[in-house]
Amino acid sequence: MKKANKIRMRETIVSYCFLAPVLIFFIIFVLVPMAMGFVTSFFNYTMTDFTFVGIDNYVRMFQDDVFIRSLINTLIIVVGSVPVVVLFSLFVASQTYEKSAFTRSFFRCVFFLPVVTGSVAVTVVWKWIYDPLSGILNFALKEGGVIEQNISWLGDKKYALWAIIIILLTTSVGQPIILYIASMGNIDKSLVEAARVDGANEFQVFWKIKWQSLLPTTLYIVVITTINSFQCFALIQLLTSGGPNYSTSTLMYYLYERAFKLSEYGYANTIGVFLAVLIGIISFIQFKIFGNDVEY
Amino acid sequence: MKKKVLATLLTCAMAVTALTACGGSDKGGETPKKEESSSDKTEITWWAFPTFTQENANDAVGTYEQKIIDAFEEENPDISVKLETIDFTAGPEKITTAIEAGTMADVLFDAPGRIIEYGKNGKLADLNDLFTDEFVKDVNNDALLQSCKAGDTAYMYPISSAPFYMAFNREMLKDAGVEDLVKEGWTTDDFVTVLEALKDKGYNPGSFFCNGQGGDQGPRAFFANLYSNHITDADVTKYTTDDANSIKSMELISKLIQDGTLMNGSQYDGTADIQNFANGQTAFTILWSPAQPGTQAQLLEASKVDYLEVPFASEDGVPELEYLVNGFCVFDNGDDAKVEASKKFIQFICDDEEWGPKNVVRTGSFPVRTSYGDLYDDERMNTLATWTKYYSPYYNTIDGFAEMRTLWFPMCQAISNGEKEPEAALKDFTEKANETITKK
Repeated sequence: MKKANKIRMRETIVSYCFLAPVLIFFIIFVLVPMAMGFVTSFFNYTMTDFTFVGIDNYVRMFQDDVFIRSLINTLIIVVGSVPVVVLFSLFVASQTYEKSAFTRSFFRCVFFLPVVTGSVAVTVVWKWIYDPLSGILNFALKEGGVIEQNISWLGDKKYALWAIIIILLTTSVGQPIILYIASMGNIDKSLVEAARVDGANEFQVFWKIKWQSLLPTTLYIVVITTINSFQCFALIQLLTSGGPNYSTSTLMYYLYERAFKLSEYGYANTIGVFLAVLIGIISFIQFKIFGNDVEY
Repeated sequence: MKKKVLATLLTCAMAVTALTACGGSDKGGETPKKEESSSDKTEITWWAFPTFTQENANDAVGTYEQKIIDAFEEENPDISVKLETIDFTAGPEKITTAIEAGTMADVLFDAPGRIIEYGKNGKLADLNDLFTDEFVKDVNNDALLQSCKAGDTAYMYPISSAPFYMAFNREMLKDAGVEDLVKEGWTTDDFVTVLEALKDKGYNPGSFFCNGQGGDQGPRAFFANLYSNHITDADVTKYTTDDANSIKSMELISKLIQDGTLMNGSQYDGTADIQNFANGQTAFTILWSPAQPGTQAQLLEASKVDYLEVPFASEDGVPELEYLVNGFCVFDNGDDAKVEASKKFIQFICDDEEWGPKNVVRTGSFPVRTSYGDLYDDERMNTLATWTKYYSPYYNTIDGFAEMRTLWFPMCQAISNGEKEPEAALKDFTEKANETITKK
């Protein structure tokens, strides 16, 4: 008994030794900054001041019109992009996973290209596409008789947020498509064939067999896409600066503006804490809704 | 047993190695200090925005700056200067981060808007000792000298300055038959006539750009000239952008946008608007400066655009121009030797007999020192030099200026898109902008 405990203890020590380097990195570069962010959210922390203000920053946040607008825009982006990413990825994967290896690779490459290209390069291309004077989108729509006058896609509040969501979709579908293709390839074919022999139609095969097998992947995709959508920043910074008139301002962009343009670090951290809690709550709800039926 | 002991030892060794590697950066940081103290050489770092243009089109960014450093180091072997170039897009954020992290450079080449803000926040060494009687007398321009100070403390050592104004596509003006109207001393009525003529000919107008803060001095100056209104009062103590003339100006801008004679610029910032002009897509831009033809040379050449430079149109024909002041500041990083070395370096850049005038020319602007005289043997630059008489009160150093800029462009977007009436938008903006002055 004593010997078994000794061996277990030794194994535990060895395990922690292996973990130690990464754990120390994680503590220094993730946990400590998180804790500092949380603590300083209760301070009036600027270049010249560091005064404890209690929950004043939180009170101010909920009275701040721009924060509220940014929150609404962020939620619209999440609600507008997550279901589309899941459904579109599912559709593309279902149409390609049984194709030849070359075809599968081709589609994976096409949809993954925007992901690996980098947000700045993607944004520059979309900036040209959306340009009111010489953009190809206006040109194509005018030639097609859809519009008569050029539209300022990023300068008109009717279109700006949707223009951002469309770009976000192109950069978000790559990974889910690859995951779904891999996941669909792993569905037990004997179950599908058995269901068909028993007289199940295609919808029933999908809903009762395939969809159930895809739930763990779907849960992962939904959670990751939601988090990425909540953190939408680079597109806004490079394309609209939150405009026109705050109609594309997101929580991440507003946080950045407060911290790096106005040096209000304490208030920016307050927004950061709120965003982290919001993402945590929504991820928890998603785990509860989708996770209950997941069997690993 | 032996194997287990060996495995445990190896594991521990791996962890220790990794941790040593983690701590390596600190040790690496200490080593040069030791070298530095042993050799008695002061090392300073210079962060430079691309304000100096390069001598040859093919020269990489920083080539000219390195030449200055080489010349300085030759004269001052006890000081070494490390150059880091930063760009206008990510540079300001990089500076903010470095200041908070305590890793800021010693010397920064920038403009008063940001520099004075850093100074007010106690991050800079004061440069009062550089503002000698000789220098003040040589500059002989109180407004310009004051733009380098917060109160009585000087934080920026200026080298050159240049006005911002408009530029038109000369061929388009000729085609529309209104070239003769576009000239120094023209009025707002002339301007409206020109816009209508250009529209009748089917040319794309320039934009009242307001996509972000980039180049926002252009639209502000354009707005402030139309009915000779002002952004601030004469003493630069409060914003006056909601007075009757300001409202009249913004109503005119709103009307011009609705009529299609001025483009809604909600999607463009200053850089994009200038590029639209330089590549021949639009008839004019409301942001141009003496250095722009050099910066936009490739586009202007490729599009065969012949530009006509002109001050802003105003009701009384007397424009008031915003202007750029280029200069240096020294960050107080807690090392007196570095501060002194930095001051020596910036004096070399600005005042050296050989390099001072040469450096001014590379900024594409006019020297702040009157003793440098006419550095450009060029009719165009001689004309532009006379426009310095139109300089308006310099308000970029007012408290809260950075926050005012975050309020300006959303207000312009709201008006341009018809979301808000000019009067209501200006009242709201002015109230909030004035709050930024007193905000702590």
